[in-house]
Amino acid sequence: MSDFFGLSIGLSALYAQRRAIDITGQNIANANTEGYSRQRVTLSAREAGLTASVFSSSPASGAGVEVEAIERIRDFFLEVRAATEHASASQLAVTQRAFSRMELVFAEPSDRGIQTMLADYWAGWHDVANRPNDLAARTQLLERARTLVTAYNQAAGDLRSQWSTTVDQMSSTVSQVNEIASQIAELNGAILRATSAELSPADLQDQRDLLVTKLAEMAGISIRQGELGTVNVYLNGTPMILGSSFERLVLEVPATTNVDTADTTPVRLLWEKDSFPATVTSGELAGLLDAVNNVLPAYKSRLDDVGQKLADVVNTQHALGFDLDGLAGGPMFTFSAATGLSLDVVDPRKVAAAGAGSGLFDGSNAIVMAGLQDSLTGPDRSYQSMIIQLGVDTQVANRRVAIQRGILEQVDAARDAESGVSLDEEMANLVAYQHAYEAAARFITAVDEMLDRLVNGTGTVGR
Amino acid sequence: MTTAFRVTHRTIHAAALGNLNENLSRMAALQEQLSSGRLINRPSDSPTGTVNAMQYRADIRRVEQFSRNGQDGLNWLATADGTLQKVLDLTGRLRELVLKAQSGATDTQGREAIAQEVETLRAGLLDLANTRYLDRPLFAGTADVSDSYDTTGAFLGDVGDESVAAPLGKVERQVAPGVTVRVNLTGPEVFGDPSAADDLFATTAQIAADLRAGDLAGLNTRLVNLDAHIFNVQNQLSKVGARYRQVEVMRQRADDNLLVLKDGLSGVEDIDLPKTIVDLQLQEVAYRSALDATARVIQPSLMDFLR
Repeated sequence: MSDFFGLSIGLSALYAQRRAIDITGQNIANANTEGYSRQRVTLSAREAGLTASVFSSSPASGAGVEVEAIERIRDFFLEVRAATEHASASQLAVTQRAFSRMELVFAEPSDRGIQTMLADYWAGWHDVANRPNDLAARTQLLERARTLVTAYNQAAGDLRSQWSTTVDQMSSTVSQVNEIASQIAELNGAILRATSAELSPADLQDQRDLLVTKLAEMAGISIRQGELGTVNVYLNGTPMILGSSFERLVLEVPATTNVDTADTTPVRLLWEKDSFPATVTSGELAGLLDAVNNVLPAYKSRLDDVGQKLADVVNTQHALGFDLDGLAGGPMFTFSAATGLSLDVVDPRKVAAAGAGSGLFDGSNAIVMAGLQDSLTGPDRSYQSMIIQLGVDTQVANRRVAIQRGILEQVDAARDAESGVSLDEEMANLVAYQHAYEAAARFITAVDEMLDRLVNGTGTVGR
Repeated sequence: MTTAFRVTHRTIHAAALGNLNENLSRMAALQEQLSSGRLINRPSDSPTGTVNAMQYRADIRRVEQFSRNGQDGLNWLATADGTLQKVLDLTGRLRELVLKAQSGATDTQGREAIAQEVETLRAGLLDLANTRYLDRPLFAGTADVSDSYDTTGAFLGDVGDESVAAPLGKVERQVAPGVTVRVNLTGPEVFGDPSAADDLFATTAQIAADLRAGDLAGLNTRLVNLDAHIFNVQNQLSKVGARYRQVEVMRQRADDNLLVLKDGLSGVEDIDLPKTIVDLQLQEVAYRSALDATARVIQPSLMDFLR
């Protein structure tokens, strides 16, 4: 057992405590860095040789301390859970936004919405019934019809443009997904190389995990641990990122697809390499797909129903009446799903207010027309039930978002509890390591004095 | 939260931010209610409330229209009423003249003078028959004509007949759901059937002729006819009066209904101002306390206590 052995024990202590203080400093510096996992030094006592041998043996004693590892504290299972919940939250948020936008399109209940325009239109028929001989009343009716048609077409147009905007959003999200996937693959590669070289890739792993959460929010992926610290990413069972290789997604929008046909020829996500359809059930992409293929087309078709009913009931009854020249009424509205409503009658004389078997100044057909407001097959009822449905759907979406937010907070809190930096803890550790460093320095001083005494003081009798 | 749950400053930070955000969004919702004055600003605020609000709006519009229709109907009936009263005045005078001529105390010249007055009365009756309401002839039914009768006494309009289910010449106003009231009378209903050549104008012309011819027996028959006509006009007058009352009642009911509906709409849609203001103030207090609590928790740390 060498005399200088104590020095090496002291030296190891200094190295170890300094390294620990460095790590503490690293944690403090990154206390607010997003996605940073705290690092912890694992110190272990160094042993002197414990293997019995014939010629050399030493009293078993410690040989100092060494830094066994620098651990990155992060729980993989919490990561898996977080990916699921973040994906859910994003999906619900997208759905909620889609519904809220639709609510803005219709602006009910108010005095500016289609409901009011319909009511004004039917009331206009009463005014014609009161003054069938007066062109002013008829012109007013046509003006109100025109306002109704404009408002209706505007709503349909808004839904159409919301659909296109959502498709655009999808295509930019898909590019982002591909971009992030490529970055994750690259990081995986770097982590693999670092771990093989026995370097600690903690920062790379933090970066990668941040990107993985981002990817989960967008595409609802699931993750599994790969070899040597890498993470493999799967999209509904299909591998998306394996180690440092990744697959791209592609958005397919068939040429004939628009808001009216999307339920039969839907927008799809495909894998770039083989054009197989990719199943996305969570995350932003899933929410956007649902909006584009189901929600928006469903409401557009309900709005179409309102327009169709308006044209049908009005045209049918109008044909039973007679205009100011004694001719039977022609169609008042034309409706098509692609182009919306249009007003066909422009000449006030052609408004068919008179009933059958009456004079030209009769208003009985106009009274019947006004009564169509209450028709069970009329547009008012159809429109009301659409608005109610929209209100219910939006309310449900709002509630689900709020609930998911609570879950997300819990999951993120759990992650943070595991990996977050607690400044109090770091402070306490700092004090501990600092004292240990000071003590180790003292110890070296003690050994140094001992050696000094030994080297300089022993055997100088009488000098 | 178990005792072993590790809490970092970031956890507290995130939780505090989340709760402050929720507080603020509750305040924002109350703020929106106050500034718009409405509880329901979009269907998702209350789907059932939205149904009710839309229904109320439609009903209000409809009832307002019924009230307007009723007012218009009353105007028609009032004009008819006034006209028929004047007709009765003229036919009363006519009757006096006929009786005077019948008394035999008049000579040829006297009868000529009476005949001329009778003709003047006939012209007056034709004028009344051509009364207009708002640029439409009152007694022409639904025909597209500018006068009900021409100068010869021929009827130009549509014939109306109450007993027929859908007669020509009916002018109606809808004053309540499913209730339409006829507000006009056609010429033949008031003055007699022109094709039978013994309507009021024909009778009056005939009276003048009989006076000139000195045909007293003829005058007797005319008198009977005239009485029948007067009786008819009185009948029509009372019909008009009854209808007027009916429409008046319905219009009043529509106006009352309107108040009830508007009140209902306000109840569903509008905020209770004092309640909302108090809620907003309570929310502000809650927000303030949350801010205070957050400040207390996130500021101190171990660093304040170590040398």
